[in-house]
Amino acid sequence: MIRRVQRVAAVAAVTAAVAWLTACDPPDRGPRFRPAGAQAPRGGGTLRFAVNDQVRTLDPTYSYDQIGYFVLHPLFDTLVDFSPGGLEIIPRLAERWQSSPDGLAYTFELRPGITFSDGAPITAAHFKYSLERALTADHSPFTEYLGDIAGARDVIAGTAPACAGITVDGDRRLVLTLARRNPGMLEILAMPFTAPQRADHVARAGDQIRRRPDATGPFVLERWDEGERIVLGNNPRYFDPARAHLDQIVMLENIPRDTQFQMFERAELDTADQLAAPDYLFVMSAPAWQPYVHHTAGMNAYGSRMNVQQPPFDDRRVRQALNYALDKSHTARLLHGTAIPAHGILPPGMFGRDPAIPPYPHDVARARALLAEAGYPDGFDVEYLTINDEETETVAGSLQSDLAEVGVRIHLSVTSFATWQTAIARRSGPALSFASWTADFPDPSSFFDPLFHARSIQEVDSTNSSFYATPELDALLDAARRELDPRAREAMYHRAERILYDDAPWIWDYHRQTAEVTQPYVRGYAPHPIWLRDYSSAWLDLGPDGAPVPR
Amino acid sequence: MIGAIARRLGWMIVVAWFVVTASFLVTAAIPADPARALLGPHATAEALQRVRVHYCLDRGLVGQYGCWIGRVARGDLGESYRSQRAVTAIIADRIWPTAQLALGAIVLQLLIGVPLGIAAAVRRGRWPDHGAGLVGLLGQSAPPFLVGTVLLYVLAYRGGWFPISGYGAGGWDRLAHLVLPAMTLAAAGVAYYARVVRSELVDVLAEDYVRTARAKGLPERTVIGRHALRNALGPLVTLAGLDLGVLLGGAVVIELLFAWPGLGREILLAIVEVDLPLILGVVMVSAIAIAVANMLVDLAALWIDPRLRHG
Repeated sequence: MIRRVQRVAAVAAVTAAVAWLTACDPPDRGPRFRPAGAQAPRGGGTLRFAVNDQVRTLDPTYSYDQIGYFVLHPLFDTLVDFSPGGLEIIPRLAERWQSSPDGLAYTFELRPGITFSDGAPITAAHFKYSLERALTADHSPFTEYLGDIAGARDVIAGTAPACAGITVDGDRRLVLTLARRNPGMLEILAMPFTAPQRADHVARAGDQIRRRPDATGPFVLERWDEGERIVLGNNPRYFDPARAHLDQIVMLENIPRDTQFQMFERAELDTADQLAAPDYLFVMSAPAWQPYVHHTAGMNAYGSRMNVQQPPFDDRRVRQALNYALDKSHTARLLHGTAIPAHGILPPGMFGRDPAIPPYPHDVARARALLAEAGYPDGFDVEYLTINDEETETVAGSLQSDLAEVGVRIHLSVTSFATWQTAIARRSGPALSFASWTADFPDPSSFFDPLFHARSIQEVDSTNSSFYATPELDALLDAARRELDPRAREAMYHRAERILYDDAPWIWDYHRQTAEVTQPYVRGYAPHPIWLRDYSSAWLDLGPDGAPVPR
Repeated sequence: MIGAIARRLGWMIVVAWFVVTASFLVTAAIPADPARALLGPHATAEALQRVRVHYCLDRGLVGQYGCWIGRVARGDLGESYRSQRAVTAIIADRIWPTAQLALGAIVLQLLIGVPLGIAAAVRRGRWPDHGAGLVGLLGQSAPPFLVGTVLLYVLAYRGGWFPISGYGAGGWDRLAHLVLPAMTLAAAGVAYYARVVRSELVDVLAEDYVRTARAKGLPERTVIGRHALRNALGPLVTLAGLDLGVLLGGAVVIELLFAWPGLGREILLAIVEVDLPLILGVVMVSAIAIAVANMLVDLAALWIDPRLRHG
């Protein structure tokens, strides 16, 4: 009798658990809150978000990865910045600037009354120090960015103690003189490594400088539990209160992507991005979430690079054939509409992109004909090196089946990001592989020069990983760098786009958009094309008690 | 006894050196350039060369090894390529979260596994035995990423009883954050401990002295608790000790899933980024943890069972 009761009880318990889990009554997965309805931005509150990696350093002279910028940009104001949501250069710590007619000198007038977060005034000498620190610091990734400043090469080589091209006139004027025109100079000066720094702070901090940012922006570092969370607090001395509504910004580190969305749904986070496929599809199909989903086109390009010095890719017809063989509608479907078809390296919205060039159409007959002409009527076998990332592997599988249709049999070889980037930088590396590029600053030279200029070809350290270069394109890119008239410059880059389209050193595939979803009460925010997740001007539209208002 | 300890310590150093050297060779064999991993795909040849010089990466295999071992001999594990932070400082930060997770898991394994094993042994062939067998089968065959994901979905996301992820602020909050990862880590151990306790206890229960105890008319509780269990727990001490050593090396999958800032996650990130000094540092600490645990288990056995000292 007792045993039967036990058995019945056990069966009942299991049934109840299964019923609860499979949920005859699924939870409401729409937003749980609504904006309180404030007319003007309100101060206060804590905004929480998460990333699936960790910050390596908060020293702006070294921090180089995207998630580092999520906190560095609110911490460090620079001379100039990108406009909110856009790529226009606007003043920040500089009140105004002037460039000389030959484009070789920039004069910056600093905003009066600007200070570090401890109240000490910021002077022009602090900018000179941070720029020279980037030139002399052991293996700073930014050294080369300043290489066009007059005298910078001598400082890098260690033959001059100070950079002749960086001069200070009083406390408020900074003059940069270039040895070679650099059309991206202002964009470079918007990067956090150019923020003013104090020599005595750097010296005092010693090897702790990576944890002690000397803030000049709307936020200061309150706390960093490495690998767990970074807490930024409002900087009360900041000159522009419209950029510092929040009391705190909390960035949780190392939270896996799908966990982030679960936390977001449980209101443990205020925003979530990089949504994994099921979460993204859910958000996109739920009308209640639509107003809170933000898309940003990144400064990127994805596809496959061919080493044009290795057969069979030394034949342009083969490279074009592969471009015709790729069906970009597959990629678009696989990436759920976050991929924009590419005709070249420049993403939509980038200066110099020629919107009149259509992406290669999917044309199997044309591809076969070109292959036959090139002497490969039956196609060929080739290895394809790609990285162990879910999205990239999926796209590679799709490419594999597309190319098989024209007889090109690719054998996928999957490796880590680190191994992949080492391999493709070698002249003797794989002939065909996955490729991607994200620009450091929004200027066409930041795409073309490192990828397709002869100067960027090295035996083992090539950024030009297709080893493609022609004297014609080199000359065009060099002329575009020197050109001062924007229209003439744009025409040159249109021409460069056309050359690369025809010569096809890559299989041009897509540009990636990111999608981010915020809680309804997060206002005044949209992801930025360069900084992506910068919440410094966001504010929280909460109820009078400081809590979110339920729907 | 002192001689035994000294011999053990000597072996420990040899084992640690061997493991670390093997790790060095394996890592060096990865065809990925640490300088490039550090500076990213945009790096120029000049910048890459400066990094290689800075970290001895321009010296070939023997040169790099010499560079590293020379520093270790001076007690310096070097600095992480990616964060430019001292490897010893990183390990010091990461070992405490891992230790908490390891201890939590061991406690759960003992608290759940031992009673389960006793129940199964005492009611052999009846439902507690079958139930424990089923739990054991599930716990041992389900991979941690599955157990963890299910626990996370059911108890945290749907139920809302535990935080989804992270390390917590300390105190009760830390404990609440610890429960799910510790349960996941303990799942396989619970099953194993229950089986060990069951089989030991089944053997002991058949011994003459247990029959004598029962014949004396002692209550069953005393027979099992006082007489049988004590003799069945010996192997468990060894098991738990060795487990602790292994768990101190970090639980990669679980730490990653629950955003637990321990050694396991740190070494995974280091491997992905070819951060050689950090990889070697963590491997060395893990090897030492296991060697120390082994030594303590052996010493504990000597202390518990006098017969071994003269064996």
